[in-house]
Formats: sequence, C-alpha cells, structure tokens
Amino acid sequence: MIQISVQKKLLAADGEIKLNVNISLKKGKLTTIYGPSGAGKTSLLRIISGLLKADKGRIVVNQKTWLDTDKKISLKPQERKLGFVFQDYALFPNMTVKENLLFALDKGQDKKIITNLIAITELESLKDRKPENLSGGQKQRVALARALVRKPDILMLDEPLSALDPAMRNKLQDYILKVHKEYNLTTVLISHEVGEIVKMSDTVLILEKGEVIKQGNPFDVFTNKQISGKFQFTGEIINIKKEDIIYVVTILIGSSFVKVVAEENELKDINIGDTVIVASKAFNPIFQKVK
Amino acid sequence: MNVLNGKITAIETSGSLSIIEIQIGAFFFKTILIETPNSASYLKEENQVKVIFKETEVVIGKGTKHMVSLQNKITGTIDGIEKGALLSKLCIKTSVGIIISIITANSVQKLDLKLGETVTAMIKTNEIMLSE
Repeated sequence: MIQISVQKKLLAADGEIKLNVNISLKKGKLTTIYGPSGAGKTSLLRIISGLLKADKGRIVVNQKTWLDTDKKISLKPQERKLGFVFQDYALFPNMTVKENLLFALDKGQDKKIITNLIAITELESLKDRKPENLSGGQKQRVALARALVRKPDILMLDEPLSALDPAMRNKLQDYILKVHKEYNLTTVLISHEVGEIVKMSDTVLILEKGEVIKQGNPFDVFTNKQISGKFQFTGEIINIKKEDIIYVVTILIGSSFVKVVAEENELKDINIGDTVIVASKAFNPIFQKVK
Repeated sequence: MNVLNGKITAIETSGSLSIIEIQIGAFFFKTILIETPNSASYLKEENQVKVIFKETEVVIGKGTKHMVSLQNKITGTIDGIEKGALLSKLCIKTSVGIIISIITANSVQKLDLKLGETVTAMIKTNEIMLSE
C-alpha cells in the first residue's frame, strides 16, 4: 500500500493553483492520472519522486516513509525506489541498450534481472545497438526496461507513449501491461487517451486544478450514463463519410477498424478524433469459427 | 438514433434476461435486455430512462392494422421524406414524438408512401436499448 498526501502551491498558466491530493495506491494495480494541462499531474509525479519539494505532505511506501514534512523527513530521489519513464527517452547515447540497462543497476545487484528484462521486453536482437539506431518505440521499450532494473516500488510513466504512432502505441501498451503483471508493479500512468486508460488502468483519477475531482474504475468514470448495450467498446472516430442519405463512420477500436451507420442528428457534436462508446445489443452480432 | 424519454412501468425477469416495459405518454414500449435489476441499478419501476433505437431498425407499415409479431407498434403520420438513391429517411410524427425511420427507397416507392399519410412504426423488442 502506498499512501500519498501532498500539498503544494503551483504556478499554472492561468494563475496560482493549489495541488492538494490524498490518494492511496494498491500494490499491483495500475492507476492513471487524467486531466487537462496545468492540472498538476506532472508536478504530483515529481513530488512523489523527490524532484520537486512539497509545501506539506506525507508519502509512505510499503511502510517506509519517503516524505513527512512534519517530521522533516525527505528521502533523496536516489533513495526512493522508483522507476520513471518520460515522453522523451533520456537514454545515454554513447551506450548500447544493454549498457544502458547495466548502468541502472544498484551496486552489488544481481545482473540476472537485466537478462530477464531483455527477454520480457524482447530486446535480445537489439541489445548491442546504440539508441541512435533504434526507432521511437524501441527506445521507449529500453527506457521501460531501464526503469525496472532496480525493481521499483512505484513505476511512474509520464505520457510515455504520446510521441508514438497508434500501432506502436498499442504494442507498447501491451509491453507495459506485461511487465506490470509479471513484476507485480504498482504503476502510475499519466495519459490523455481515454481508450488507452480504459485498456490499461485499474483505477483512474481525474485531476483538475490540483484536486482529484473524480476517481474509480475507468469505464464508470468516463461513461456518465450506463447504457444497456452489451456489445460495447471505446474507440476513436477516424472518418465520417456521407453515403446516400446516411453517414458511414469509421471508428478505431483497439487496433481494428469498424464501421457504424449513423444519421445526421447523431453526428451534431461528433468530430474526427473524438473518443466514443460504440454500443449495440447482444442480439445483433453473429460469430463464426475461424480455427 | 431515436432517443425517447420514458418511465419504467414493469420488469419481468427470467435468469439474466429481463423484459422491461417503458411508458411514454399513453404508449408502452417493450425491450428485452441481458440485464436484471440486480445487475443494473437503473432498472427500477418508476425510474426515468432513455429508450434508444437505430433509425434503420424501424419497420414501416402502411395504415394501422398489421398482424405481425412486433410488439412495439406506434401509429403516426409522415411528416417528412428525404429520398436518396438507395435509402430514404422518413420522419414520423407520433404521440411519443418524432420517430425517424430509414428504409430502402424502393420500399417507399412500392408502398407509395406520401407526406401526411398514416403509417405504423414498428421496432423489434430486441432492438431497443435503455440508458439512464
């Protein structure tokens, strides 16, 4: 169990806000922080990691106190067992993939973890390459593996996938989920993609102007109303095309494209790029055996 | 999609299936769901719900007397017709509000449907979704 209670005045684009967050993270769960820019998401992660000082706060990670401003306890960033992955990869350019991972080892730590991590993130064939010879997705896989070398108590991911194209993003999400489960990690993710959040998180917190305004299971948080359709997915509107008197809407659900027929009124406040729930009754779909 | 506001008046459950009756004005809609009052908290008598169905699932019958299995049959008059190459959109003014139906242009022609004509809009029980 990880208890986090922090307060800090922050200067945001539209004036001063007060970050005031009281949350607990359960071991082995993936929690996502969602919210507009300037809500304090990254500041919260930086306070947890010790890179930013809180005005007041207490952070207890598996019974170990990382921060207690009342008792003047504040562990240095390097004393806090956490892994961090940012949007930019921050790998050492002069080192190979394997050397980047080895560099992250604690003194005297067993090197076996590197072999395990290379295997689970499928970096075996890339391990002797330098970062300049890797794609964005591959670099992010290395950054993820490196963040796990010290077996962190918390893995923090600050929009790690936002620079990647949808296909690569989808693959990386699967890698993150794989290591999250394999190492029973407690993971905190910052993400703006509702589809990604629904796919990956156990819990989502919506942060607005420094306060958690809503939290819970992502599906419940993002769907204000329950709808009875049992064939239900979250997707992104890719294309809207008028055909005859109807519209054919192409929606990306996971990595599959589906088409849905819509009527003009339905599309009034729907735009390309919007995240939507696609629902149908369980009575309509058919299936056929393919294997 | 057609969205109408109504009130749940009856719930009949068997296993995980339920048939829900929803009153809108003087008309009663029926829908079958894979849901029960235990699995979905909004399924309660007297609760307000939205009745949702696609335009393409609305069957049109000329006149008012039809011997068909569909339970949701509501009469109205044609208030608008938009003809396309293959499909046509009909706006039907009923006691529960406007219901839109999309049927083939060919059917509109065969039935000789015209503005102001009395028709019956019919929706299968399994084509209606509910939402809070």
